Amino acid sequence: MTGGDAFSFSAHAAADTELTMTTQACERAYKAQPGQTGRIRNRLQIAAGARVNWLPQETILFDGCALERRLSVDMDKDASLLMVEPMVFGRHAMGETLTDVHLSDRIEIRRADQMLYLDAVRLNGNAQAHLAQAFIAGGAGAMASVVYIADDAEARLDGIRTALPETAGASLIKKDVLVLRILAQDSFVLRLSLLPILRRLNGSDLPRCWMT
Amino acid sequence: MVTDAPIAMPTDKHILTLAQMFSPAFPVGAFAYSHGLEWAIDCGDVTDTTTTKHWIESVLQHGSGRNDCIFLGAALRADTPEEVAELDALCRAFAPSRERLSETELQGAAFCDTTKAVWQAEFGSLCYPVAVGRAARALDLPLELTGQMYLQAFMSNLAAAAMRLVPLGQTDGQRLIQELTQLTSAIAPEAVQADLDAIGSTAFLSDIASMKHETQYSRIFRT
Repeated sequence: MTGGDAFSFSAHAAADTELTMTTQACERAYKAQPGQTGRIRNRLQIAAGARVNWLPQETILFDGCALERRLSVDMDKDASLLMVEPMVFGRHAMGETLTDVHLSDRIEIRRADQMLYLDAVRLNGNAQAHLAQAFIAGGAGAMASVVYIADDAEARLDGIRTALPETAGASLIKKDVLVLRILAQDSFVLRLSLLPILRRLNGSDLPRCWMT
Repeated sequence: MVTDAPIAMPTDKHILTLAQMFSPAFPVGAFAYSHGLEWAIDCGDVTDTTTTKHWIESVLQHGSGRNDCIFLGAALRADTPEEVAELDALCRAFAPSRERLSETELQGAAFCDTTKAVWQAEFGSLCYPVAVGRAARALDLPLELTGQMYLQAFMSNLAAAAMRLVPLGQTDGQRLIQELTQLTSAIAPEAVQADLDAIGSTAFLSDIASMKHETQYSRIFRT
C-alpha cells in the first residue's frame, strides 16, 4: 500500500452465519509520493443472528507513509462482532523510525442504524516523538484496538482484564459491548498479549496465518 | 469556516451567562469526575506539578479536550433535531470507556436540566459538549468564547482534582491553571470551527487510565 493506492473491500454475513476474515500477511503502508495518499475502505454488514470475526494481521507503518483508512460496520441488533486492528509504528528492530507520517484511521460501528462505536486515530508528522510522550503512548511501538459485541461481553470482562498487560485497558461501554486498547513495546510483545485474548474471544484458534 | 458576517463582540450579558454556566456553582457536578487522572496519580505516573501539566496537556491537545470543542461547535451549527440527535450519538460512541461515557452523559443531563429550568431552553438530554453547543445556540452565546470557557472549566476541574490528590499547593495549582489557560485559549477557537472529520484522539494512555480507574481499589472520584 502506498500513496495513491485505493482499495475497498466489503463483506456481508447473512442471517445466522459466521464469517471469519484475516489477512495473509501484514499490511504495509510504504512511503508515499508527496501529496499522494493511500485509501482503504472496508465495509462489513452483519445480519440478524450472524457473527463476524474481523481479524487482520498488523498494519505496519513505514516512514513517509500517507494512509487514510476507514472500517465501517453495519450490524443488526441481534448480530455479533469480534474485531481487532493491530498497528505497528515502524519496525523498531530494523532501526526504522516514523518522523514524517500521515495517518487517519477510523472505525465506525453502527447497530440498527445507530452509531455505537467510533474510534478515530490521527497521526501527522513526527509520530515517533509524539508517541514517545509519557501520557500519549509512553514510547509504544505497537497498538491494538479490540471490540467485542456479543451477549456474553459482560461475562468476559473480568477474565479479559486479568489477561491484560500493564499498558492496556478494557471497559464495557454497553452491556454487550466490550472494548480494549493495548499498547506494547513492539509487535512481538503485542502479539504475546493479544493472541490469548483473541483466542478467548474467538472461542477457537485463530486463522492459521496468525500462527507463523 | 469562512464567513463574511462580522464577528459579534460578546456583550457583558453573554460573558456573565457563560461565567454562570461554567462556575463550580452550576450543578453539573464536575468536581466528581477526574477523567482517569485519579488512576494516573494512584499508580505513580503523575506525581507533581510538571507531570500533572503534561497529563492535562495531552488530554487537551490530543484527546477529549479538543474533540469536545469540535462537538460543541458542530452542535451549535446543527439545524435540525435529527442532526443534533446524530451528533449526540456520535459523541457518545466516541467515549473510549464506560466511565468517560457516564462523565459526559451525567454532566450533560444535569446541564440540560438546569438550562431548561433557568433559561427555558429545552433540548432533551444530550451529552455534555453537545448540550453546551445547543445552549450557546439557544441563548445566542458567542461560539469561540463558549468553547474557551468550556475548555478552561474542564482543565481547571482536572487541575483541582490534582491539587487534592497529588497534592499540589493552592498557589502552584493556580499557576498551573493560568499556564494551561493559554493552551485552552489556543485550542478552542480553532476546534469549535473544525469539521467533524477532524475528530481524532491519540491520548491513548489517558483513555487506558480511565478504563483502569473502573477497578481502582480506593477512589474519591467517580471517574
